[in-house]
Amino acid sequence: MDLSLTNEQQLLQDSIQKFISTQYSISERNKFIKNDQGYDNSNWQKFADLGWLAMTFSEEYGGLGGSTVDSMIMLEEFGKGLVVEPFLSTVVLFGAAIELAGTQQQKQNLIPAIIEGKLIGTFAYAESVEPNNLSAIQTRATAEDGGFQLNGSKSLVFNAISANKILLSARTSGQDFDEQGVSLFIVDAQAAGLTRTDYPTVDGLRASELHLENVRVESDDLIGSLGSASGLIQSLVNKGILGLAAEAIGAMETLYKSTIEYTKQRQQFDHALADFQVLRHRMTDMFVEYNLVKSLCMKATMLEAQNSAEAQRNIHALKYLVGKTGRFIGQNAVQLHGGMGMTEELAIAHYFKRLLVIDAQFGNTDHHLNKFVG
Amino acid sequence: MDIEFSEDDLAFQQKVVSFIEANLPKGMDMWTKRNQWFQALRDQGGWDVPKWPVEYGGPGFTPTQRYIFDLEMARHATPPQIPFGVGMLAPILMNYGSKQQIDRFMPGIRDASVNWCQGYSEPGAGSDLANLKTKAELSDDGSYYLVNGQKTWTTLAHIAHWMFCLTRTSSAGAKQEGITFLLIPMDDPGVETRPIITLGGSHSVNEVYLTDVKVPVTNRIGEEGKGWTYAKGLLVHERTGLAGIQNSVLALEKAKANARLIKAGEGSLMDLASFKNKVGALEAELLALEFTELRTLSQVSAGQGPGPESSILKLKGTEIQQRISELNIEAAGIYAAPWGAKSIGPEFARGATSGYLGGRATTIYGGASEVQKDVIAKNVLGLG
Repeated sequence: MDLSLTNEQQLLQDSIQKFISTQYSISERNKFIKNDQGYDNSNWQKFADLGWLAMTFSEEYGGLGGSTVDSMIMLEEFGKGLVVEPFLSTVVLFGAAIELAGTQQQKQNLIPAIIEGKLIGTFAYAESVEPNNLSAIQTRATAEDGGFQLNGSKSLVFNAISANKILLSARTSGQDFDEQGVSLFIVDAQAAGLTRTDYPTVDGLRASELHLENVRVESDDLIGSLGSASGLIQSLVNKGILGLAAEAIGAMETLYKSTIEYTKQRQQFDHALADFQVLRHRMTDMFVEYNLVKSLCMKATMLEAQNSAEAQRNIHALKYLVGKTGRFIGQNAVQLHGGMGMTEELAIAHYFKRLLVIDAQFGNTDHHLNKFVG
Repeated sequence: MDIEFSEDDLAFQQKVVSFIEANLPKGMDMWTKRNQWFQALRDQGGWDVPKWPVEYGGPGFTPTQRYIFDLEMARHATPPQIPFGVGMLAPILMNYGSKQQIDRFMPGIRDASVNWCQGYSEPGAGSDLANLKTKAELSDDGSYYLVNGQKTWTTLAHIAHWMFCLTRTSSAGAKQEGITFLLIPMDDPGVETRPIITLGGSHSVNEVYLTDVKVPVTNRIGEEGKGWTYAKGLLVHERTGLAGIQNSVLALEKAKANARLIKAGEGSLMDLASFKNKVGALEAELLALEFTELRTLSQVSAGQGPGPESSILKLKGTEIQQRISELNIEAAGIYAAPWGAKSIGPEFARGATSGYLGGRATTIYGGASEVQKDVIAKNVLGLG
């Protein structure tokens, strides 16, 4: 057992840290989120040029053969910088689906384009009827003329506004809440009959509601086998949770450290705030809880990377702790910054909001606690 | 980054498990045959003293082997060793004792024929241990110290043959200075031990009164006035050992099994969302804490000192121990009320409340949680 980073991982971490410290200040970031698509295109191209988009894909298709652990290292750094580019949507979710279940043809068509930064993808799986239930799929795919026709709607699809391709779950057989009979398709973002309602999320990112009316896909747009995508969907959701958890850890680290710095500077009652024991203990609690989530994130990520049967249970526990601790650290960061903590101007506000959205994604604290206890 | 143990470590783990299965006395024999168990550990080549260096008869475990060893011992609920001699005094003797002291005291520690207790806390020196007042005055001829004062919370003083004791030989300078480390025989006529019965109804701690006890200077460890330095290193060690993470894993499993015995509506207590969610929250944190211990181990194995994560272990580990004991009194329901009754209510419930009450001590001893937080704030976070 060795929990230290390899030399390559250390280099990867250093390169992201350097990029964020020199080119990704929080004020720059807050400009990027004002773009229509919610991020900066030239940054995305830099991610491609630096090899970050290639990291987790297999070498056969131009990737660097990394694992979920490498993905964790990257997202933790992205979390510290509050990076808004669509890495999770494109690489961790869409890209992983192609890598895991795509045909050779699909991989050749899509993976190199992702790696070069030319293809933005996303994953549309949730529906408003019961968003946390991965089998609650009312969107229908009806076989027709050698292809399929899609009808229905999808909720909270991140980065759909900038996506070229959307990985979308639809029912090819069975009843609305059956686990069986679900399939995954790649839908062109410009497809006729696909309409979007775009909106910002609390943290400044972009999401959309998708409506599909007689959207035509071909049979070779199917990802994985017909009617039995539920396992793959669960795997993708797990990858999404691990990615968000790593990002959350980065954000929590920045929050507790910023709070320490602030309380050392800020004077009240003729003392630095950090002189007050009640505040020192609060910050110690933030540090302790942060470390527990970090431990579980490392563990769950490594278990997932080796397809351990224990992974699923640990992922539920992790998402529960991410939500609970994210709120604890975010709330206390605001509290200890006092009135300043309530302003948009301070970076901590944005980290707090990101943590709230992370809790909401892929099932929140309560949902995963229930899954964990079974 | 790799979560797996190496082949060698896995083979070692197998060896430890096989040893335990072959040698651990079963059921009630666990208590009557304790000595046999410890003898088997000794015969294995120092497994009774896993942390000792090879030159003193230790097994020379790597940090990972030591972790695996502790893990399996805890998982199999093997009889605990009384820590005062083997775990606490021995390292101080090895580092600071004279050759003569080592030759005199180590054999009795090793074969557990001599019981030790720790004379640190006093009525006025709890978390602020350096505030201790027990006075040791050097005789005019320089041959002995005359010791007067009171120690308290002295665990197992009533069965101890000896006490290692912090005394004050000087009041000049900072209060950490002028503390001297002495070894005191408990059968001295000036030593009086009185029991303290704690909340849980049990007697394990005591008050120890020291009146004109003559302690030969040959019983002093190291130099006069340096006792604080000798004791301090050990306190850190004591704290990391108190997290009891694997014990908590077992205790939580037991608490769940107990709750399944309690009927609630159509099902058991474990089917009630309010109870089940408490269990789940606790279990999730325990999973995280378990891996935090491995992170600490990984750093030690890599040749770094234990990182800041290690300071979390006692703080969080004891909190979790207490929360598990709360589950037990909740599961006991009305049977949390009877005291000392042998045949009322389900079996687990009979010890539930005393276990819960006794367990309140875990966040107080070995440095109260508030002190731990001060330590983390100062040494890890650079606050204050």
